[in-house]
Amino acid sequence: MSLETIKKKTKSLFLRVKSETVENEAFRNMLILTIKTYQDLTSLKKFLISLVGMMLFPIIFLSFETTIDYNSISVQHAAAAISIQIIFPMFFWTLGIAFICIIGTSGASLIAEEVHSGTMLILVSKPIRRIKIFLGKFLGLFLYGAVLSFCAVFLLGWIAVLRYSANLLHFFALMPFLLASYLYSLVLLLIFCSITLALSSIMDRPRNAALGVLFLVIFSFIGMMVLKMFIADYYEDYYLYHIDLGYHLSNIYISFLEAFNAIPLVAEWQQWFAMTTGVYETASPTDPDQDINPGGMIRTDYYLPIFSLLIWIGIAIGLLAYGLFSLKNREISV
Amino acid sequence: MIKKEKVTERKTDFKYEIWSNELQKIYGKKDKAFEAVKKINLRVEPGIHGFLGPNGAGKTTTMSMLVGAISITSGEAKIRNEDAGSVAARRLFGFLPQDPVFYNHMTGEDYLIYMGKLGGLHKTEARKRAQELCAYFDIFDDRVRPIGEYSGGMKQKIGIAAALIHKPKLLILDEPTANLDPIGRASIIEKIKEISKTVSVFVSSHILSEIEQMCDRVTMINNGEIVISDTLKNIKKKYIGNTYQLDTNKNQEILQSLEKKDYVQKAWIKEEDETVQVIPKDADRLQTEIPKLILDNKAIMYSFHIPEVSLQDIFMEVYALGGSKK
Repeated sequence: MSLETIKKKTKSLFLRVKSETVENEAFRNMLILTIKTYQDLTSLKKFLISLVGMMLFPIIFLSFETTIDYNSISVQHAAAAISIQIIFPMFFWTLGIAFICIIGTSGASLIAEEVHSGTMLILVSKPIRRIKIFLGKFLGLFLYGAVLSFCAVFLLGWIAVLRYSANLLHFFALMPFLLASYLYSLVLLLIFCSITLALSSIMDRPRNAALGVLFLVIFSFIGMMVLKMFIADYYEDYYLYHIDLGYHLSNIYISFLEAFNAIPLVAEWQQWFAMTTGVYETASPTDPDQDINPGGMIRTDYYLPIFSLLIWIGIAIGLLAYGLFSLKNREISV
Repeated sequence: MIKKEKVTERKTDFKYEIWSNELQKIYGKKDKAFEAVKKINLRVEPGIHGFLGPNGAGKTTTMSMLVGAISITSGEAKIRNEDAGSVAARRLFGFLPQDPVFYNHMTGEDYLIYMGKLGGLHKTEARKRAQELCAYFDIFDDRVRPIGEYSGGMKQKIGIAAALIHKPKLLILDEPTANLDPIGRASIIEKIKEISKTVSVFVSSHILSEIEQMCDRVTMINNGEIVISDTLKNIKKKYIGNTYQLDTNKNQEILQSLEKKDYVQKAWIKEEDETVQVIPKDADRLQTEIPKLILDNKAIMYSFHIPEVSLQDIFMEVYALGGSKK
């Protein structure tokens, strides 16, 4: 091997090591931002307030009296009965309005506030790409949301068990329901972290970004629900389910529950979803001659759940890309 | 062939800490377009280089392009031969923006560690360096307090320490003494002078006396254009003897008479002492004609001489001679 070849190979090896070091440094910087974002979001006081806020509505639900003696039925039946008690407030409030509002208001300031206050100017002068700044903050928010929803879902499950039976076995039997709910919360997080961060990148003020998310939540969970109640005919005639985020989210959530076989498909809880999200038909499935419920309500099937999931993951990724693009091209000045 | 030439040019230009070629920034589009920086060619050599100009001259816009905070409309800029705004370039400098903003809830030390880590230091190294810098800037005891409780001077010190934490080769400081009291200013200037012994400094200010105290070289900018760029010594040499100062009991009348004379290029009243400043086209004629002018105006002459020039005088003279082209 000639000296020239050795020189060339050494140089190429050096360049490769250098390039890998640079990549590692960029990844490390992203991780530093993720940790900083997570730490900024997770003050104990704020975390506890968020947690209490997420469980407020379900706890009111749990305060209703029940005639079931949970300790006299099988563990599986008891767990199913408990899950029926908490599924709707879990979907509508804990992993719905409250959770999304918390993510929206926490995440709205992550980029907009830094740009507005001027701290972003120092950040962009550091050796880190803007894409990594965006992704670092996204991951920090995602991590915060994942920890928050984990605590909320499992704590709520535990509180429900304490309320009805105080039997640890019931809590373990409730695990598929809690796990399915938690996995759904991660999908929700992906969607709303993307929306929040995109709005935070685009808007000049954090307040506007937070208002954007709040508007979306109110429109999805309350606006569309009211529309469905008052103009039920138009809902299908004008294909309003296409833009009904509440419908898509419940479609995804119920599919997660079905996949985990986490809850019996009975009208007792399905009617709530039928009324509010349109994922079930509102007509009673009960056979009028025999007065028998043949096994839950009928799914409306406007969308296959996988399409609901793909559409929203697609929208999340699209918004993520748009947020990245706007931050990349944004003029940062004091 | 062209590529080869470019490479050679860049190698040659590496002697510059900052180098720009036809660097331009236009805000807005079409009718509302505003050219904030007009194709400037910056050459910043190692040492301490002042960037002077009145408010709105384009200093902050230029610095923002150099650090990658805003995009470059056209032209190019390099920091130690790396493209301005690139990650590689950002590794090489530390930046203190005008009116820096901090995470007020963080302590000074935590903020420096965070900045150090983002600059590529490991946590232990960043902590050690943060403590060294806090001691150097006389804020060691305050390093554990939240930045929100700091005074303006202490915040400025933390800002410079944050720019220095990752041991950069170059410091870019945008108006580092703005909003400080005289004692705070003197302290920051002293520190910058000390730092410049080991790190090159590119510092902007509209306070000329400060730049005069600190800098070896200066670049003056006005309306987005470089009006002069040289060593302070050369600039003073160039402008010394060019401006005469005349003081009489009727300065306003004398000024009006002087403005009509063909041997006078420019005359004005200096605000500080209300004396008449004259740039002659023909110095000999000015000297011979002045006594006649005094007699004609029935004035009493107190003094007529070439004063020692300050940067302030040069600045005014440069603009008076057309530095401000608009």
